[in-house]
Amino acid sequence: MTATATGLPSPEVARPRTVLVGTMFASATAFMAFVGVVLVYVSSRAEARADGAEWFADGTVELGPSGFIFATLILSIFTVQWAVQAVNNDDRKNALVALALSGLFGAAVFNQLWFIINDSGFALSANNAQFMFFVVLGTFVVFMISAVAFVVLTFLRALIGQFGPRKADSVAAAAFYWNTVVAMYAIAWYVIFVTK
Amino acid sequence: MTMTESPPATETASSVSSPAVAGLYEALTTTDHKRIGRLWLRSGALMLIGAVVLGVLLGIERLDSDSTDVFGGENAFFQMWALYRIGLALLVAAPLFIGLATVIVPMQVGSTNIAFPRAALAAAWGFLIGAAIMIASVLATGGWGAVDQASAAERDAVALTLVGMGLVVISLLLASLSIATTVVSMRVKGMTLLRTPLFAWSMLVAASVWLLTLPVLLANLLVAYVDLHNGPGTFGGGLSGDLSIYAQIAWVVEQPQVYAFAIPVLGVLGSIVPVAAGVRAARHGLSMGLIGFFGLLSVGAWAQPYFQPTNDALVRYDEKFVFIAFGLAAILPILGSLGGAADTLFRGRSNVDGLPAAHLLGALGGAVLLLAGTAAGVARVVEPLELGDRITVSGVMNLVLFAAIASAIAGIWFWAPKIGGHQLSPMLGRGASLAVVGGAVLLGTAQIVNGFFETSNSPLVAPVEDAADALNVVSLIGIVLIGLGVLDLVAALAMAMRKGETGADDPWGGQSLEWSTVTPPPAGNFAEAPALVISEAPLLDDAPEEPSDEGEES
Repeated sequence: MTATATGLPSPEVARPRTVLVGTMFASATAFMAFVGVVLVYVSSRAEARADGAEWFADGTVELGPSGFIFATLILSIFTVQWAVQAVNNDDRKNALVALALSGLFGAAVFNQLWFIINDSGFALSANNAQFMFFVVLGTFVVFMISAVAFVVLTFLRALIGQFGPRKADSVAAAAFYWNTVVAMYAIAWYVIFVTK
Repeated sequence: MTMTESPPATETASSVSSPAVAGLYEALTTTDHKRIGRLWLRSGALMLIGAVVLGVLLGIERLDSDSTDVFGGENAFFQMWALYRIGLALLVAAPLFIGLATVIVPMQVGSTNIAFPRAALAAAWGFLIGAAIMIASVLATGGWGAVDQASAAERDAVALTLVGMGLVVISLLLASLSIATTVVSMRVKGMTLLRTPLFAWSMLVAASVWLLTLPVLLANLLVAYVDLHNGPGTFGGGLSGDLSIYAQIAWVVEQPQVYAFAIPVLGVLGSIVPVAAGVRAARHGLSMGLIGFFGLLSVGAWAQPYFQPTNDALVRYDEKFVFIAFGLAAILPILGSLGGAADTLFRGRSNVDGLPAAHLLGALGGAVLLLAGTAAGVARVVEPLELGDRITVSGVMNLVLFAAIASAIAGIWFWAPKIGGHQLSPMLGRGASLAVVGGAVLLGTAQIVNGFFETSNSPLVAPVEDAADALNVVSLIGIVLIGLGVLDLVAALAMAMRKGETGADDPWGGQSLEWSTVTPPPAGNFAEAPALVISEAPLLDDAPEEPSDEGEES
């Protein structure tokens, strides 16, 4: 190539969406960690079934309550995206309401998970099935806590006016991570509660 | 200043008086990517010395299969063997490349700093703390699952090993995230992804693969940790035989995952060879594609014992088409990259006429080692040879990981002026490169051949053929030679620091943006923003295509 850069203006260093890009990488990492745990569950279950053993006893893992959690999380997808849209439109009130609702949905998820775990009557050391049930849901709880913390932090930053149409990356990043955690639950729900 | 901005580097230590305290304060609070990168490099070099010493001790232990005189027991021997293997990947190869990338990648892409510098600093310190916990707990009868039934104290030490290793993995992930984000979102204007220098590109690919696969290792550790404390004892917590934690996590140092630690080898090769040849790289886009393809083939988190059924009715992963195909195909991008490098060298007015530069020797040697490693990997997946549980597996690992280490050493020699402000001795560099590459060839090849004599990969199983003993001696000579190469590196670093001469700004006739700034680079890297980038070799766009010979003389 013979083209020359001499005489061209010195450009500024680009800084597009660093927080969002970093969050996307972090979300992919978190997702893979969760998938890693779920796959241990799946392979352990496949092994047990191939040996002709029962995985969960009938009636111990119910689809109903877990479906409510899924529905709650589906609703939360709309609220976090509502927050992103509101910040892009410079609508602070709507952004705060949407973020607060998302956090509330997160709290509701913890409440419902607590019910499911208590209702199951499982013990961590009982057998492979019950052990993996706790490990998968426990890992999900850890990621859910981090997602709620991210949303609460974003809410507080929105409260003091740190975001606007030109500074909406952090809200979009929080929404992206939240949606990733919802995707995690979708996998856990299908694997544990639907296919059991 | 908002809460998220980094303070200027000059702000530090204003309230402290002693130079030692000021230095510590600086090391704990700096947001300068060059300082953070140097911390990674020092840590990696320290671990390299430890790994080589351990490798020599293991080599001596293997000379006499009837006793365990060096380590004083089978359990200690097994744990040290496991520590060597896991340490070589997670405590040496990955940190060395992360250190190089933390220093060089922001400059290569024309950025003033790395993305998330505080996270990068936390990762560097987290790595050191995690590594210290991991090593100390292994020495305190911990490790990855004893071969005998463990006592309560040993279980606590094992739990501590898992915590330390988890911290190491999290730190590597955090550092990878910073590097990947820097390449994706902090490139100077005009530098499209296709114009990214090959080292930066290879680090983006490597960091992405690490970010997608090492979390699965983290998941393994989590399952094992919980099982160890409260579980049914069937997920690693059983601590014996096939249920040992090491058996579950060994996938990280076996193919295809072990290749992931060597992805930057191709980037170092692609950055050094065109500069040595004094011409633009042949087919930059194709080289990027080959690195990406190699990255894809090194995704190996799926090929692990947790997903390996013991029931005969289920198909084992190493019998599946995809495992065999990955193993066979992995050699292709290495061959392609070496072919491209050869083409570039032949086209250029290279300074290979006399003695080749240390960094060129190391870069080429690293790539050849990687070629040998992937070729041995091909033999590993050929079912009739039955090498899957033999010492050939260790041969592949040693070749691939020492390819990474040789390549990282080449990178240190090449970018030394930008890393520490000094140039390193060319003669010592040639010695270090030749010793590490030659030693790795002896070590790896002997182990691969040993596999054909049915020698088990487990250190506790005695060899069945007499020839194995002779090959163990060759392996020992190999690791001793590597040790001499590491001594060379240490001597060169000590000499450069003692002499204190500032290196030239661009001693090799560099082509990417890190060579456009002064040596040592200032805070913020560039006195003024780089000119608009219009190709993958921006410094050749406004300079005649003549290499500088200054590097060899200074």
